[in-house]
Parts: sequence; C-alpha cells; structure tokens
Amino acid sequence: MIERRRDSHRNRRIVICEPSKLFAGVLLLVSLSVVGCKRAPLTVAVIPRTSGTALWEPEHAGAAAVARSVGLNLYWNAPMRDDDTQTQISLIEKSVDRGVAGIIVSPIQTLPLRTPIRRVLARDVPVVVIGTELGIPTGPKLGYVLNDEQAGGRIAARRIGLILQGEGKIAIVGIGPELKSNTVRERSFETTLSREFPGIRVVARRLGLASVPQEQHNAEELLAGSESLDAIVALSLASTRGTYYALVEFGKVHSIKVVGFDQDLIPPIRDGGIDSVVVQNTFEMGRIAMELMNHEIHGTSGSAEINVEPVLMTRENVDSAEIRQILNLSWWSPQ
Amino acid sequence: MRSVTRRSIFLALLATASLALFTIGAIKYPSIMHRWPTQRQIVSLEKQDDWQAFGGTWQYADGVMSNNSDERGAKLMTGPEYWSNYSVDADVLLLGQYGDAGLIIRASDEEKGVDAYHGYMAGLRDLDNTLMMGRADYGWREYAAKAVLPRVFAQQWYHLKFLAFDCDFAVSATSQNGETTTIAIRDPDCIKSGRFGLKSYNTGAQWRNVEIQPATQRDLTAMIGNLQPELAVPRQLPTGSEPAPHDRYLEPIERDLQAHRSGVDAQTISSLRLLSPDAPSFVTVQGVVTLTSPMLYIQDSTGGLAIFSSHPHAPLQIGDDIEVRGDVYLHDFSSELRNADIRLLWSHTPVSPVAVAASQAATGAFDAQYVEVQGRLAEKHEDGKGTGILTLEDESQSFIAVVNGLGRSPHLDSLKEKSKLRMRGICVIDSRYTHDLTAFALLLPSSGDIEVLEGPPWWSPAHILELAICILLLSFAGMTGFFFVERWRMQAVLDERQRLAHEMHDTLAQSFAGLGFQLQAICDDVKDGIEIMPQLELAQGMVRNSHEEARRSISALRPEHLESVGLLSTLEECARRMISKSSSVEIETTSKGDIQNIPLRVSDTLLRIGYEAIANSIRHSHCSRLTITVAYGKSTVELIVEDDGMGFVVSSDSAGFGIRGMHKRADNISAHFRIDSVPGQGTMVHVLATLPPSFLRELSHRWLIQLQMRKMHDKRARN
Repeated sequence: MIERRRDSHRNRRIVICEPSKLFAGVLLLVSLSVVGCKRAPLTVAVIPRTSGTALWEPEHAGAAAVARSVGLNLYWNAPMRDDDTQTQISLIEKSVDRGVAGIIVSPIQTLPLRTPIRRVLARDVPVVVIGTELGIPTGPKLGYVLNDEQAGGRIAARRIGLILQGEGKIAIVGIGPELKSNTVRERSFETTLSREFPGIRVVARRLGLASVPQEQHNAEELLAGSESLDAIVALSLASTRGTYYALVEFGKVHSIKVVGFDQDLIPPIRDGGIDSVVVQNTFEMGRIAMELMNHEIHGTSGSAEINVEPVLMTRENVDSAEIRQILNLSWWSPQ
Repeated sequence: MRSVTRRSIFLALLATASLALFTIGAIKYPSIMHRWPTQRQIVSLEKQDDWQAFGGTWQYADGVMSNNSDERGAKLMTGPEYWSNYSVDADVLLLGQYGDAGLIIRASDEEKGVDAYHGYMAGLRDLDNTLMMGRADYGWREYAAKAVLPRVFAQQWYHLKFLAFDCDFAVSATSQNGETTTIAIRDPDCIKSGRFGLKSYNTGAQWRNVEIQPATQRDLTAMIGNLQPELAVPRQLPTGSEPAPHDRYLEPIERDLQAHRSGVDAQTISSLRLLSPDAPSFVTVQGVVTLTSPMLYIQDSTGGLAIFSSHPHAPLQIGDDIEVRGDVYLHDFSSELRNADIRLLWSHTPVSPVAVAASQAATGAFDAQYVEVQGRLAEKHEDGKGTGILTLEDESQSFIAVVNGLGRSPHLDSLKEKSKLRMRGICVIDSRYTHDLTAFALLLPSSGDIEVLEGPPWWSPAHILELAICILLLSFAGMTGFFFVERWRMQAVLDERQRLAHEMHDTLAQSFAGLGFQLQAICDDVKDGIEIMPQLELAQGMVRNSHEEARRSISALRPEHLESVGLLSTLEECARRMISKSSSVEIETTSKGDIQNIPLRVSDTLLRIGYEAIANSIRHSHCSRLTITVAYGKSTVELIVEDDGMGFVVSSDSAGFGIRGMHKRADNISAHFRIDSVPGQGTMVHVLATLPPSFLRELSHRWLIQLQMRKMHDKRARN
C-alpha cells in the first residue's frame, strides 16, 4: 500500500514536472530572444540640400561625431542636385515612414518645405532645421541651427569696404528670395555697406538662378554692360562660381574683385582669382543639430534657435586650422 | 502509456518545427546554399528584369549599357545580396569629363543618392587620372587612388577587374596600350557579401562585356602577385596644401573653365518662332539637353527645340549645355533645327521640369519642353523594340507616354492599370507620337522618370470577389467551429448526465428499493390493527413515490429518451406510472404534424415541463382525464398538457415553486409558456418552442445517433 502511494506520488511528480520543464524552456527561449533582440539604436535622418559637396559633407562629419558619442544611428542621404526640392521632400516623407526618431534637414527652399515639416511635427517626430528659418516657431520638437546670415552679410560688407578702401561701384548677384537665409544675407550686407561705407555704391542687382551656367550668363551680361565695376558680391555658391567663370571669360579676374558666399572654390582663392568667400561652418552646424536632436528625442530641450558664426576664407587663412576644421569631411572617424 | 503519447506528440511537434524552420531558411536565406556565383558567367546587360536602376538614364544597345546622364551617383545593380567571394570584369568608358565610372561589389541597401548604398566601388576618374577604390556607407571613404598609365581619357575603353575575397579587395585597370594599374586593399571590418553593379559619378559612361565569376585565394594572388594589400585607411581630407583629395567635391575649376566659352550670337529658342516661315533661317541657339533618344531636344529659359543633326558629334548626355547651329523649320507651337552642328559647352546643368496639368499640356503651350504631368494609367504595351507605350488619363484629357530604352525603376511590368503616376518628359504634339488620338504625348528618357504616386483603387471586381470568398470561408469556418464547440459541450453534458443516471440508479434507486422491502417486511411481521400500521403504510407509499421519482429522473437523464420520437411516449409512460392502480384517470396522447428532429436542449426542457405539469395534474387536480399533445410545426414544437380537474386561479401570487420552475425552463430555450386555468374547469399547460434551421437539427440529430451507437459499441466491447 505504501509502495503504491509512493508510485502514485512519483507519477504525480512526473506529471507536474513536465509542464514545469516546458514552462522553463519557454521562459529560457523568451529570455534568449529578449537578449538576442537587443533594442536597435534610434535612427536620425540627416537630409542636407545635396550630399558629396564641400559645403554639406562637413555637416555629415559633425553630425556623425555626435551621433557616435550618444549612441544614435545616422541615416545620411540627400538629392543628387541642390535644386531638387521634390526629392528632398520625398526623402523626408520616406524617413518618417521608416520610423526614424528624428529628422535634421537643410531645406533647399523655404516655402515648399513648410508643409512637409509641419506634417512631420504633427506625427510627433522631432525636427532640427539647418540653414534657414521656415516660419514655423520653435518648440520642444522643433529647433533651428542657423548660419548667422546677419553676421555673414556684415563680414562681406566689411571685406568689400576694406578691399575697395571705402570707394567704388559694386554689383550684387545671386539674390534668392526662395531661401529666407539668402534674403537676410542680402539685407544685412546692404545695410552694413550703406551705414559703414557710404562711398561704395551698388549699381546692379541680379536675381539668383538655378545653375552655374545660368549664373555665368547673368554675370556675363553684367560685365558686358556699360557700368564699370570694382567688385561683385555673389550671394550663393552657384552665383560665386558663375561670376568667377564670367570674369575668366572676360579676362577680368584680377581687375574686379569677387566676394562670394559658401565654400566651393578653394583653388581660385589660393591664386587670388577670388578675393574671399564667407563660408558656413556646416561642421559645427551638424554637430550642434545632432546634439539638439538628442535632447529633443529625450525630451530634455526647450525651444532652441542657435546661430553659428560664418568665417571669411581668404588667401591668407585658407590653410589655417580653423578653415581645415570647417572643411572637415571625415564623417567616419571620431573628431 | 500517457507519457509515451506525450513524447510522441512532443517529437512530432519538434520535427514539424524543424522542418518549418529549415524550409523558411532555405527560402529566405538561399545564401546557405550558394554564397558565390557557381561558375564564370557573362552577365546579360539586355535582360531588363535582372537590373535595378537608382538614378541615371540607362539604355542598352549593341551589347553596350550606357548611362547618358551625368548625375552624381547613378547606379545600376544586379545579383543577390548573399554573394561574397567573386570578381567582376567589364570594359568601362567615360562619356564625359570631370567624373568617374566603374564597378560596385558587395553592395546592399541601395537608394537614389550620391553615395547611398553600403558596398565597395572601384573606378576610373579623369579628374586626377587615377584608378580609385573605396567604400560607401551612405558617405564615401576613399581607400586608394593610383595613377593610370598613360592617363584616363574620356571616350576610351578600359578593362576593369574588381575582386573580393574574404576581406581582401583587388582592382586592376588595363588601358588600350596594355598598361595595367592594380590596387589591393584589406578592410578588416569588411562587408562580407552583396550585389554588384555599375556606377558613374558626374559623367555619363558605358559598360560592356560584363562577366562575373567565383573568386579564390589563387585568383587574388594571380591578380596582385607579390603586392601586399594595404590596410583600408580613408584618405584624410583636406591637408590644406594639397587640394587633390578635395577634387571629388570641388570639381576641377581650371579644367572646367576650358570648356566654358559660350557663343555670343545665340538666339533665344522662343524667338525662332517669330522668324519668317517662307524659307529656313540659319540660326545659333544655346540650350541644355533634355532628351537624347528617340530625338535630341534642348531647352533654354524660353522654350524647347527638337534637333536633327546630320553631323557626327560626341555622345550627348542629359544636362549637357550645347551650342547648336542649323536651319530652323517652324511648327505651330515650336520649331526644329535641321542640319545641325553641335558644340558641347559644358555639362552638369540639368533642367528641372515644369509641373503642369494635362489640360495645360494639351494646349500646346509646352510643346518641346521638359514637363512633369500626372495621370492614371489606362493601358500599357511595348512596341517590340523595347519602347513602352502608356496611355494615361487625367480628368478630361488622355495622353500617351513613350518610355524609351531600358530604364528600370520601376519597370513597366510592375505598373498596374489605374495607378496614379507622375512622369517627367518632353511634351510633344507631334502626330508621330500622338497618332492624332490625343492632344499631346510625353517622351520619357527612361522608366525611371515614372513615379508611382498611388496604386490602383482597391475596390476592383477581383478584390471584391476575393473579399466575398474570404467572408464566406470565414463564416463557414466560424459556423463549423461553433458547431464543434457546441458538440463538445453537449457531449460533456450528456456524459455527465449518463454518469449521474448511473449513480442515481446504483445508489438512490437501490436504496429506495431496499427501504421499500424493509418496510414491507415490517408490515408483514406486525399484526394488522396495531397503531403504527397507518404510518408504516404512509412511509411505504412515500418510499414508493420517491423510488418512482428517482426512476423517472434516471430515465430523463438518459439521452435515448430525449429524442423527439420518444418525447410523447416518455411523457405517457411517466403519467401512467404516476397513476395508482386504484385511480380511474384516463390518459390520452396526441401527436400532430410531421415529427421533427428536436435539439436535445429543447426536448429535454419540454420533457421536464411535461413531467411537472403531469405530476401537478395527477396529484392536485383530482382530474379524471389527462390529455398530452405534442404538435410539430415547420419550425416549432408545441406541448400541451390538459386536465379536467378542479382548476385554480392563475396569478403571480399563486405560482408555486413548480410553476416558476416551468417558466424558467421555458425562458431558457426562449419558448413561450402559458397556463390557462379556471376553478372547476380544469387546467391547460402550453409550451411553444421555436426550432433552429432544419440542416442544423439534422446535423445534431445525426451526431446524436452516432454518439448513441458509439456508446452502445463501447458498452458491448466492455461486456
């Protein structure tokens, strides 16, 4: 009788034991899968106006440096041309659909990007806008990292004042109302010039065009005109290059000084073909933008609008440490 | 026995799961089977489906694949992502200057974008006359650049070979004079596998004789000889004193300038329309190439123009700025230039399209111009020469889109009718393309210029049919499931009832029988006339009644008594048992209508109500006649128990426990229950129950028969 009871007791234990083993197995599998499916790092999409250029690759380097240090994944892509607004909007939409944690964007144009960015914000995805204001006020999910266009305009005006010694006639090319930052740049330049150098007269103004050849054509018309010029201020990358080409074609490289904007033409600066260029510190802008994004993602930031001072690149400082840091393209290594 | 069964189940489950995992693995990860190309093979450049374009304007002709666009970073990819050790051979030609072109290997996650992929690229660059190699991870890292001898010329073929073995990479370029330049790189943190493809940057290019083959250590050694692979270290940018590393980004300023000499006597394209139509005028115009095939189109800021050149000229790419001299012929909305002499001014100036509605394009105002139009795809076909013809509709307008060559993103086959598309191309009103069926046609450089905005509407007849079938199947599955669940539940109930019946039979009924015998024995032993005799007889009567009740309950619990056929006879039998031998109550039973199969639940309820009603009549009404009627309708069954007894006043206060029980039972099967009674005129109990649909009753009935047969079989087997 006792034996039977023991047997039955043993049997009962076996019956109880099997589910418990199964349960333990399931628990182990779940634990392993939890360990195996370690949470992937959050991804931030960084979408400049275009990629693979001296102006925008430093932004990649700056943003990547911060992303590595804070454990964020970075998705870097952009339109192949810096006037392809539609592709930039598509990239923003696709990034949101992929579930990125945030978007850092440098709008090609101000107005067409306003609605897409509002839609991104409506989906509670944080955004940092680089380079230009969109007219959407800053908030916990939206910050701006801007090139200090006021300062850029002042720097260019003072450079013109310096090289013309306060006297002369100039033209402004590359005026671009489609980008608010360009307008601010232009206004600041003209205000400073008229206030500080009343002896310098702006005798011609030209609206900016989409491509370098068009800008070149624009500048050629200017040079072929009756008005003699002492200097030309080119407010954009394309207009700077187009103006330089026109000067080469007309053989006036050294007789008409050029002060341009946005880094692109290093060799002509070295040989004096272009006097100077006001360069954007896109490396620093990318770095700050990613820091701001990190705060936005973790909800630790208030509204922010940060201005980054541009730098005047001349023949004298083109190889300086400061300019080398601004032109840093090494996105793959810690800075 | 039980543990053996469990083990078998466990093993079967394990085997099934393993098989499923293996099947999924084999389907999902064929790399388990083939991690490299199985043999040397020539890659077909012609087969459209094998290639996927990311940017560029790709065309195939005479064994040569061309990208006629100078986009920065156009890619054409093919092959599986799991290939690891292989080499690709190809002849490469740069169409223009200031760019690079070559091969990509071990690539994945490709997108449109300058360096938007993960993988390795090697190619020829004419900016610094180098063979270069590097890695892209949505950003470019250049590992090496070595001078090509004598130098890199545009419009000249070079043979490229790019090999990957483990984490070693080798690339060689052989120029037409036989000089070979080789680079070997070791990337310790290498990408292990990926697709291969063609890529150009900032220039158009051509590829031919593309071959792929598996690579081994021996192949690597044969390629690099004693050359030790250099460790992959990105070239540091910029050094400041040496601008060369910046070339890729800054473009060659001085060399670019050499070509920047525009004509000063060029007319605007729109002004050509104002020339005399009497005789062709000789003019010079300047514009950007917007289409190269099937016709050459250029555009300036004022309009577009078709060019017919009789003189040979260098292959042109979309985005090239050219100067053209020739005879102008006027059309209604635009002009065309014949006998044209073309001079390339510079490249890389693509025109952006103007977004217009189909109704605007239909006016002819945008003839020969690069436009973007939206429409819904009505139909599509190919003309047999690789040209796709699409017919689209947008509100009041239909138009035709002619898709040139082998652009592959998205391929025409994947376009579904009624999809909403956005297309970029040259708007023409030429009847050669419109066939005078539509107001205008669009000439698309490639199918990459088609963007699918939204797929066809979901509510197509096929989808609706599929949905209806799905709903039908789901409903059937739901009903079947419900039926089985009900069956299992009912089986459990019946089993339990059977068990209870047995229990009652073995215990309660036996006890009553024993009590009866004992009381009878006492009665037999004691003499008549003693004082306790009446009580003994009363006790005997009570035991007999209780025994009878127990038997009645037992028979009610057995399912074989619950069939509709047995309902009336069971009730009659019950009534007859209740009547004492001395009683003169007459019992009459009637069945009306065709006998139906009644669900167990209903027949059980009717039986119980019937028992209660019969018991009440016999015990309390002092009736002389009891009528039991079961009437079958098409979807109803009715039970009437009627007596001619003393009757009573029907009110809610008068309802005892028995009547309330009958009410409740009737409510449980949603039956209508009524008692009609008048003092001195007898009582009638009436129950009307609704039956479920006949097919369900049939199923239930069959199952009940099966169940009973199985039970009988089990019983026989046990005996």
